[in-house]
Amino acid sequence: MGSVARPARRRTLARRERRFAYALLAPAVIAVAALIAYPMYLIFATSFREGKSLNFLALNRRPFGLGNYRDVLTDGATWHNVYVSAAYTFGTIVPAFLIGLGTALLLNQVFPLRRWLRSLMLLPWAVPGVMVSIIFLWLFDASFGVVNYALRSLHLISTDIAWYTTESTALVAVIVPTIWKSYPFFTLTLLAAMQSVPVDLYEAAKVDGASAWARFRAITWPGIRGPATLALVLNGLWAFREFDIIYAATAGGPSQATETLGIRAYNEAFSFFYMGRASVVGVLMLAIAMLFVFLARKQLRKEFF
Amino acid sequence: MRRARPLGLTLGVALLCLALLFPFYWMLVTAVLPTSMVLAREPTLLPSFADMSFRAFVAAFDRKPLATWMLNSLIVTVGATLLSLVIASLAGYSLSRFRTRVQEFTGLTLLLTKMLPGSLIVIPFFIMAATFGLIDSLWALMLANAAVGVPFATWMLKGFFDGIPRDLEHAAMIDGCSHLSAFVYVIVPLARPGIAACAIYLAILSWSDFVFARTLINDQSHWTITTGLVSFIGEHGIDWPELMAAGAMSMVPMVLLFLVLEPFLVSGMTTGSQR
Repeated sequence: MGSVARPARRRTLARRERRFAYALLAPAVIAVAALIAYPMYLIFATSFREGKSLNFLALNRRPFGLGNYRDVLTDGATWHNVYVSAAYTFGTIVPAFLIGLGTALLLNQVFPLRRWLRSLMLLPWAVPGVMVSIIFLWLFDASFGVVNYALRSLHLISTDIAWYTTESTALVAVIVPTIWKSYPFFTLTLLAAMQSVPVDLYEAAKVDGASAWARFRAITWPGIRGPATLALVLNGLWAFREFDIIYAATAGGPSQATETLGIRAYNEAFSFFYMGRASVVGVLMLAIAMLFVFLARKQLRKEFF
Repeated sequence: MRRARPLGLTLGVALLCLALLFPFYWMLVTAVLPTSMVLAREPTLLPSFADMSFRAFVAAFDRKPLATWMLNSLIVTVGATLLSLVIASLAGYSLSRFRTRVQEFTGLTLLLTKMLPGSLIVIPFFIMAATFGLIDSLWALMLANAAVGVPFATWMLKGFFDGIPRDLEHAAMIDGCSHLSAFVYVIVPLARPGIAACAIYLAILSWSDFVFARTLINDQSHWTITTGLVSFIGEHGIDWPELMAAGAMSMVPMVLLFLVLEPFLVSGMTTGSQR
């Protein structure tokens, strides 16, 4: 009798467990479906709707076709945007990575007040992007900015540089605040990775008389390489998407010098009301991001799948 | 000799900190000095206390509805953070303990949200908000911020739940607890550092949001602090001390939260990466 009843009971238990598992997931699945998947579908659907419209609700009455794709992809400005995005992304993550690595190596040592200095060093990460932008607008101010003052005092410049309104300097002036905001993420992830490297490895190396550089190359770097690559990819994707810092400082100007793809998409949609073209720019951004992720898939697979 | 090194290190790191935090220092200095001193060709790097005043703070609050904007930001941040945390803890726990079909899509969803630019997803959000009459509503902002928060928070919390042995909730269930109450009363308290780390992340994300607030809210009385701050820049002749004072005020809640909860963040990241 018992031998018959037991599997049946186990099955209902398993079914109840399964139902419980799905019930817990339900809110998240609904949220993702309604607020990520459906919006993505809307972007694709809108990318085929041609022309401009002030009435966003009547978009599906616009003509349907590939016109937006043709317009955007044959437009030289689009490829300029791609270039600006690439320069902005790499110009940000490389210096931010180096600062993050340096600070993480320092914070991985034992010294008094470490906890507080670590908190302070990570602080820029907690500042809203627009506030970062505003602070640097003031630091880089042409007449009264402290950066120009420093350069004047060092006799590096004789006339003031209008950083944000000069085409050749505007990109640098938006990259610097972005580096400042993003280095703490590297510090945090690299520090976390370093703390999982066994301490006795260093002690053994010290006994063997290995130099600090040799210890870094042979012990630290192999231990943090995986997380470092992941952090580079994630921060790269973040910089590629970044909107707040650039928009608050220059909104893409002067004459598109700082217009990344993200800024372009926004301006097309909300300044010129070409929702279709904006969506195409968005689709292009996603395609580029996917290519980037595809190239880094080996590293990502370990973390995400 | 061995003793001297850590102190030297503290000094070195402190100096580096000063250099990296100079923008903060300059923001505060500008906020407390009179405009005449701020707009100088040779700025005073180390001002004396006699020159300082809180005039700019008073003026900023006087001239702009900063308190209202900060309150709006607070409502959106608390709402979005709580909403994301509840949804994500349930989902993260489920993903950590059970194998379901959904599992296969979670990594992909997270990756997708990491690739999805805010300035892109705001386009459909705008269309959806217009459809449901949610333009100018703080609810729309909460939902938009939660949308980006949930996938990431689920992932982070799953990592935490993975680190908590299953025996603990099994023991509670043998004692007569339902699975849900075992989760609420046994697992959630144990995962508190992880939940705290996740909460800081989410709160900072919502508090910083600019693209959703700028696009979904027109009415000035419903602006958040970020849209409010940017409105200073558009003005003819920016009043820098006022703007820096307003900016400094806007950072107080997040900086406090960050300084108090930062150890959780670091320990959270460490456990996460050892997973």
